[in-house]
Amino acid sequence: MLNTLLFVLILGPFIAAALCFVVRIRHIRSFIVLAMACLLAAASLLLFVKGPFSHTPPSLLGIPTHWWILWGDDILLFTMLYYGFKHRHLLTKILVIFQIVCLDYFELFMVDHSKTFPLFVADNLSLIMVLIISIVGSLICVFAIPYMDKHEEKEGFQKSRQPKFFAFLVVIMGAMNGLVLSNNIIFMYMFFEVTTLGSFMLISYDRSEIALRNAVRALWMNCLAGAAFIVAMVCAYVTQGTVDAQKLIQAGHMGGIMLTPLALLCFAGLAKAAQIPFQSWLLGAMVAPTPTSALLHSSTMVKAGVYIALRFAPGYAGTFLSQCLAVYGAFTFLAASAMAVSQSNGKKILAYSTIGNLGLIFACAGINTPEAITAGILLIIFHAFSKALLFLCVGDIEQHIGSRDIEFMRGLYAKMPRTAIVALLGIITMMLPPFGVLLSKWMAIEAASKHLFVMVLLAVGSSLMVMYWARWAGILLSAPYGSQVTPERQGVLTRLPLLVLVGGAVVLSLCAPLLYSNLVAPILSAPSFSVRAGIFDNPTGAFLLYPVILVLGLGFICALYAARKARKARTSGPYLSGAQTKDPECFEGPMRKPVAVSSQIYYFESIFGEQRLTVWFNIFGGMFLALLIGGAL
Amino acid sequence: MIRGAILVTIGVVVAPLLGGLIAGVDRRLTAWFQSRYGPPVWQPFFDVMKLFGKEKLVVNGWQVFCAYIYITAAMLSVVLFFLQSDLLLILFVQAVGAIFLVIGAFSATSPYSQVGANRELIQILTYEPLIILAFVGIYLVTGSFKISQVLLQTKPLLASLPLLYIALCYALTIKLRKSPFDFSTSHHAHQELVKGFLTEYSGPYLALVEIGHWYEVVLILGLCSLFWATSWIGIIVLVGLTYLCEILIDNTMARMTWRWMLGYVWTIGLAMSFVNLIWLHGR
Repeated sequence: MLNTLLFVLILGPFIAAALCFVVRIRHIRSFIVLAMACLLAAASLLLFVKGPFSHTPPSLLGIPTHWWILWGDDILLFTMLYYGFKHRHLLTKILVIFQIVCLDYFELFMVDHSKTFPLFVADNLSLIMVLIISIVGSLICVFAIPYMDKHEEKEGFQKSRQPKFFAFLVVIMGAMNGLVLSNNIIFMYMFFEVTTLGSFMLISYDRSEIALRNAVRALWMNCLAGAAFIVAMVCAYVTQGTVDAQKLIQAGHMGGIMLTPLALLCFAGLAKAAQIPFQSWLLGAMVAPTPTSALLHSSTMVKAGVYIALRFAPGYAGTFLSQCLAVYGAFTFLAASAMAVSQSNGKKILAYSTIGNLGLIFACAGINTPEAITAGILLIIFHAFSKALLFLCVGDIEQHIGSRDIEFMRGLYAKMPRTAIVALLGIITMMLPPFGVLLSKWMAIEAASKHLFVMVLLAVGSSLMVMYWARWAGILLSAPYGSQVTPERQGVLTRLPLLVLVGGAVVLSLCAPLLYSNLVAPILSAPSFSVRAGIFDNPTGAFLLYPVILVLGLGFICALYAARKARKARTSGPYLSGAQTKDPECFEGPMRKPVAVSSQIYYFESIFGEQRLTVWFNIFGGMFLALLIGGAL
Repeated sequence: MIRGAILVTIGVVVAPLLGGLIAGVDRRLTAWFQSRYGPPVWQPFFDVMKLFGKEKLVVNGWQVFCAYIYITAAMLSVVLFFLQSDLLLILFVQAVGAIFLVIGAFSATSPYSQVGANRELIQILTYEPLIILAFVGIYLVTGSFKISQVLLQTKPLLASLPLLYIALCYALTIKLRKSPFDFSTSHHAHQELVKGFLTEYSGPYLALVEIGHWYEVVLILGLCSLFWATSWIGIIVLVGLTYLCEILIDNTMARMTWRWMLGYVWTIGLAMSFVNLIWLHGR
């Protein structure tokens, strides 16, 4: 049973990818993707029901597993090298060759493969990750089916590139499942590299000059992460004589020399999660079609980075590395939130918000108390749902109104009422109580209150975050006077993922106490909260989740009722100092000419301008990284 | 249980009455400063009653929705305060109301409403970190974010958190919509932006917003009272003096720009908060 589940979760997507790539018929491809999505979701649920395990599967076709891994790694790295040469990028070439040399030497001459330990170990953290990857990821793949048809139609490609696109879309999910379940860090490394190559392929999908440039940037930055990962493996093996992740975590307690590999692993995670100064690869990834961004941002790829940090967190608890990580994460949270304020491009706002939230998760890993780890894990769950939802909404909106700029989303409620409401819910679940993201943020802030710097950074960062979300939410609802709300038509495969995701984002928030006590509490060293009647309570504070939900829910119903009743009320045009013309959206300007009313959001270019801040933030980010690595050496 | 019920009742019923009364006294005192006679103390209640009697006139139906959510959240935050709950939770619940009010303002196309909404967001951005840091200060002294722990203190918090209290007063001034920080909307007649982000809220819905504001005033003054929660006299003196200062500042200051506010309040306020927090940390 376990063997089958692991096979479906990890290798299933690879097989589906191969089929997608080979069978070039649209309907069959759609069917394969749909079937794989259902299968993955079901398998992840079954695995989840089975609970934690440690397991070594039998070798495939009688060849020892480590040979498969070595061949897999070599194929991957040589493919990357090929692209390094093709795009004439020196840094990629150097980094990949470095990895090839190190890896082959390490695997062939250093590692003793006769030592046995479980290859796959899953605790609740891994199981949660598998669920998120398989369910949220699958929904995104389903959404991609109709989306990509429309996208290709618009772009007018001569030959459909969908086979390759879907192949890599599903491969990333399989690789992520493998990454979070592996206990052997050599396995982890291979899956880590698969996500690197996969993201490169997906970003370069459009093959425009900018897409290629951004894809190459993503490639070299993630190769840097991969190189750090290899050095970490080698260091760990030299000092500890093992590649067993569980042993490395335990060994970390001894401190000293063991910290170097952990610091390097954190570095790999930070680069993967696009923390400043590596944010440019994730921002560049926005040129790709929306499902790509949704997948990379919400459930896979960047989550690999935070997963590594959280996985190894017990290993570096109480060290300088941990403190550095806390400050660094909080700094990224603030910096990304600040830069998001100056953006009008919806996708970029989402990208910065992802970077910020991941920073918050790193900060939680760095604070490293049970409360903070709880906050980090819950944030991974809630963020995945809300962020995937928002990306898909922006994709859908962009296909309808032809822009991803939030200024063009004014009055979206009149044009696309469904999507506007869904997007609004997504935004609200990202920033306000009683929803999960805020619950985790509350936990994070309370956990950080002993760390002065972290605290100040989080306080300022979270208010900036509220700012860019709130105005976007407002914009979606604004509608010109007298406009009629036109019902919206939406395909089943577009609507279904949106509805499941929005349902998940809302319902999971209601289930937060259950999630905590059943999933998170068992893996903590000590329980961080006592949960009773939906109230998270510990000596530091209390979050009255169910009472708040109850009252706000009642208020919500009253508000909805009142708003419905107010439809009968007389309407009036917007206030224009009494200089309105017959058209209520115009006022009488000079020479009695009608002037259309317009207004814009404040973007604070002079304060939070992206160009102005990026340089400084990169310098600071680099300094923090140097501190983090240097302190551990 | 009975105590809880009484506290909830106080939160729901007494708080807005108190808030309205404070607004009335505020107007009387302001009139006195300006050598005017001023309206009766009950005027705010008359105003709200009159607003309730007005015809319902709607620019965008979402505003109605937002006004209701605002008053619910404001009420809930005050109730949580009286139930001696978690300070950060109270702030976040209060933020729900504040944000929905802004969303409502954004939903109307009037440029007054739009600009007002943008400015209100800047105000929220300015005061929120200060309030969070004040709470962190309270945490460092009492070891908890719960108000029930604050009330167990034997020494007034003000003694260990003087600078944080001043920083909180900046937040208070912004939240009360007093000069020099009243540029998103104001109680003064001479509003440069008509009524800022409240421009398009009218009639009964404006009345709801007004009552919500009373709740918020009580909440903020309640937060101030925590700094001398050891005796009733302390509370009354501290809150009374603070509010008098607010009125004085309101009447003597000119309205400034948002750039000035953000720069000034963040540098001075955050610096003071930080210094105070370091003192506490050093102990």
